[in-house]
Amino acid sequence: MLLSLIVLIPLIFAVLTLLTKTREQARAVALVATVAVLLLTVYTYFNFDSTTAETQFEELYSWVPSLGISYHLGIDGISLPLILLNAIVMPLLILFTWNDDRKAPNRFYSLILITQGAVLGVFCALDFFLFYVFWELTLIPLFFMVSIWGGPKKHYASIKFFIYTHVASLVMLLGIFGLYFAAWDMTGTPSLDIPYLLSQYQFIGSGIAKDLIFVALLFGFIVKLPVFPFHSWLPDAYTEAPTAGSVLFVLLKIGGYGIFKIMLPMLPFTASPNLMITILGVLGAVSILYGAFLALAQKDLKRMVAYSSLSHMGYVTLGAAGLVSLSVSGAMFQQFSHGLIMSIMFMSCGVINKATGTRIINELGGLAQRMPKLAVIMMLAFMASLGLPGLTGFIAEFSVLAGSFVNLQGYVVIALTAIVITAAYHLWALQRAMFGVYKEKLGNVVDINGYQTLAMGVIAILILYFGLNPSPVLDMMLTNSEHIIGLMAGMGV
Amino acid sequence: MDIMLFAPELTMVATGLAVLLIGLFLPVNSKKVLGYLASLGILAALYLTVTSLGTNSLAFYDTLSVDALSQFFKIVFLVVALLFSIAAIKYTEGSAHVEEFYVLAIFATIGMMFVASANDLMVLFVAFELASLSTYALAGFEKKNPQSLEAAMKYFLIGSLSGALMLFGISFLYGVTGTTSILGIAAGGAALAASPIGLFAVVLLIAGMGFKIALVPFHMWAPDTYQGAPSIVSSLLAAGSKKMGIVAAFKVFIVALIALKVEWQIAFAVLAVVTMTLGNVAALSQTSVKRMLAYSSLAQAGYITMAFVVLTPMALGGGILYALSHGFMKAGAFIATAAVVYMVLSENKDAQNPDHIDNFKGLGQRMPVTALSMTIFVFALAGIPLTAGYMSKFVLFSSTIQAGFAWLAVIAIINSAISLFYYAKIVKYMYFLPGEGSKISEPLPYTIALAVAVIGVLAIGFWPEPFIYWAMEAGKVLLAGGI
Repeated sequence: MLLSLIVLIPLIFAVLTLLTKTREQARAVALVATVAVLLLTVYTYFNFDSTTAETQFEELYSWVPSLGISYHLGIDGISLPLILLNAIVMPLLILFTWNDDRKAPNRFYSLILITQGAVLGVFCALDFFLFYVFWELTLIPLFFMVSIWGGPKKHYASIKFFIYTHVASLVMLLGIFGLYFAAWDMTGTPSLDIPYLLSQYQFIGSGIAKDLIFVALLFGFIVKLPVFPFHSWLPDAYTEAPTAGSVLFVLLKIGGYGIFKIMLPMLPFTASPNLMITILGVLGAVSILYGAFLALAQKDLKRMVAYSSLSHMGYVTLGAAGLVSLSVSGAMFQQFSHGLIMSIMFMSCGVINKATGTRIINELGGLAQRMPKLAVIMMLAFMASLGLPGLTGFIAEFSVLAGSFVNLQGYVVIALTAIVITAAYHLWALQRAMFGVYKEKLGNVVDINGYQTLAMGVIAILILYFGLNPSPVLDMMLTNSEHIIGLMAGMGV
Repeated sequence: MDIMLFAPELTMVATGLAVLLIGLFLPVNSKKVLGYLASLGILAALYLTVTSLGTNSLAFYDTLSVDALSQFFKIVFLVVALLFSIAAIKYTEGSAHVEEFYVLAIFATIGMMFVASANDLMVLFVAFELASLSTYALAGFEKKNPQSLEAAMKYFLIGSLSGALMLFGISFLYGVTGTTSILGIAAGGAALAASPIGLFAVVLLIAGMGFKIALVPFHMWAPDTYQGAPSIVSSLLAAGSKKMGIVAAFKVFIVALIALKVEWQIAFAVLAVVTMTLGNVAALSQTSVKRMLAYSSLAQAGYITMAFVVLTPMALGGGILYALSHGFMKAGAFIATAAVVYMVLSENKDAQNPDHIDNFKGLGQRMPVTALSMTIFVFALAGIPLTAGYMSKFVLFSSTIQAGFAWLAVIAIINSAISLFYYAKIVKYMYFLPGEGSKISEPLPYTIALAVAVIGVLAIGFWPEPFIYWAMEAGKVLLAGGI
């Protein structure tokens, strides 16, 4: 019941939000829903056993037996941290937008809640049918979010995002069908149950079929993640989206989740595991380096942050390909850490744009004098993003690089070169935008309001807290990583 | 023989005659009663059909059969007729010709029901023509509206031609096998396969039925007719009459002409791909919503045609389930459009193109129930999860992959992706563009019809088990070569 509530509350409240008349009502309903999800998630967290990789809080009901579809929910150490991340940031996001004046607030908050329900649904679903339903459901609210409240190029950006990820989902669906029918042919009973199908994957006879299924699923996940060379929707969508939309994109951790939950358990049983590892490693390392270079070249602060996101996602892929528990858990932690850090960074971009009317780094300057609260929080996020020890980004990236070095030395060397560039663009942007002489033509800039301070401040504190003491989420990630690596023992990978 | 096997048909005939007779004696302002009477009659027939699921029997010297296939399609036709008849209560308000309108629709439905039961090509043809003739008259029901007349004329001319082609094809089959019985022709399959006449008959029959199903290149009439005919008549044409073509084609090709499978499978594969692609691409640029729905209807027929290519129980089940889902979705979408047209015309009697997409602007505020229903229908048509459209596509497309036609499934999936654009456009107009004019009260009959269709779409989407079961049973009837 607990997981069903966590998934359904946002969806039900999304409908209620739609029925509200004023901004005050809409935001209040949205806040109630997200706080309720947060409380339930915290309750789940404290009743979760992080010493086992088994599925917990399982719910299983038969739904369409003739096709093998069931309503199957459950969480493990891979999904719970991501649920926690989503549940924590969402109410803060509502608070962040508390005083924003925008058209159609009821639809705005409704779309936010639908996104939350869909994303949480993906994390909880243990049936491919349900998984795909929620997976596709994330697409629609985000599409509208960008195309209605987005920036000047919103139509281009939203369509591009839609086509890119929708096509990828359809390819993923083909992979799901492949797995489904391969297992159906072998056992004679249809089932779309994720754990069951993952356990059947190794018995598929044809090596080509195995590889095709793997690549089709992988394609769906890495486009959503995204990694080079499937990233070109990201800068447009992230940049054109309204601030809340950008944060929703950041919390959309379903691509990486798919890699850990579905791809890694399948990896050792593919016909050519070493090739797959190479692909993942190359994509990861190139994304880290290429994303960093692109970020360095950006003039627009928000676009720079978007590309830094690509660079961060490279660590997720590289860590997954590293295939030791340190690198895999580091990559999982990178997802968690990235969600927190990027939320602040996109909120900062939004605040700056609203206050000054521009996001072009050259036109900004000396904002710290007029926006001291923002400057402190933003600096913390930037430091975390470039990997300063004591903050979450460091733990994630260090684990990924140190862990991956065991199996993938060459790629790690490539990724290491990116660290310098990463530091460069973060510090350079911060220095030019926030410090130095205040540019008078920016007008009378005021600092972030109380709600925004609260929202961003809480996230900043969490970055610091989990940076100093990651074990509350890292322990369960480690348990699951060791479980996955355990599967590979003896497979010669 | 048990005459009660045909209780649904008899109920429909009785309803039709009662409506016609009572209508003669009613003054114009109380003819609303006829709509209630017709709806009740159809509802009773629907109930009788649903309860008869599972019966397997032959009647009238084996020319009619009652089995899962026939009953499932009768449910499709009756559902569409029910939606049509509820919505028509509002549409025919104040008209002096209410009884004709209802009687034509009821007789059309009876024709469709007998096509579903037909076990003999002559019966099939006669029933086919009964349905066709009734719908020709319905399409031209707005006698003073040139568009409606043009629609009817086009539909009639092309429909008659296709009827003639079909009859021609049937005559060849009779010439080779010496029988018009579907099972008899199947038994004489070897002779057909050996003779070039068999192939010739296949071509004629595909052309004849292709017109009714509106497969490209036999589709030219469909967009014009669906656009010109009154919206709720279009719902009957797209959601009902088209399915009649499909069930007829199922019987003729999969049962009677199974010996020529290799030949028609290729033809249907090409037709399916061309039809769905052209339908979706043409729909992208339409500004008339009815025309857009007409092209989307082509695309949907293209998907259903995939069942002819794959020919597994699951694929046929998927195609048949799709027929039912499409009945709900498409009839619902046309009725929602009818409500909008009603709104536009009630504000301005001489409005041109009342179904222009601009009239959907701000519909979310002006007609919230209609807008929400329309959203559900178009999302279902696009195949958004947890709707009837998604379930049907899921079964149909996945069976295509299972049978090794991955390329066909990929084309269909790409087409689905394309279709989302024009469906989303309607939603965008309704909810995200500001409209002119204030909120108006939505006519109750339309609202009820929409609610019924929404329930159908969501029921199949959320709880598809019984629907899939009976669709598969119906598919098995076809593969077993009839009963």
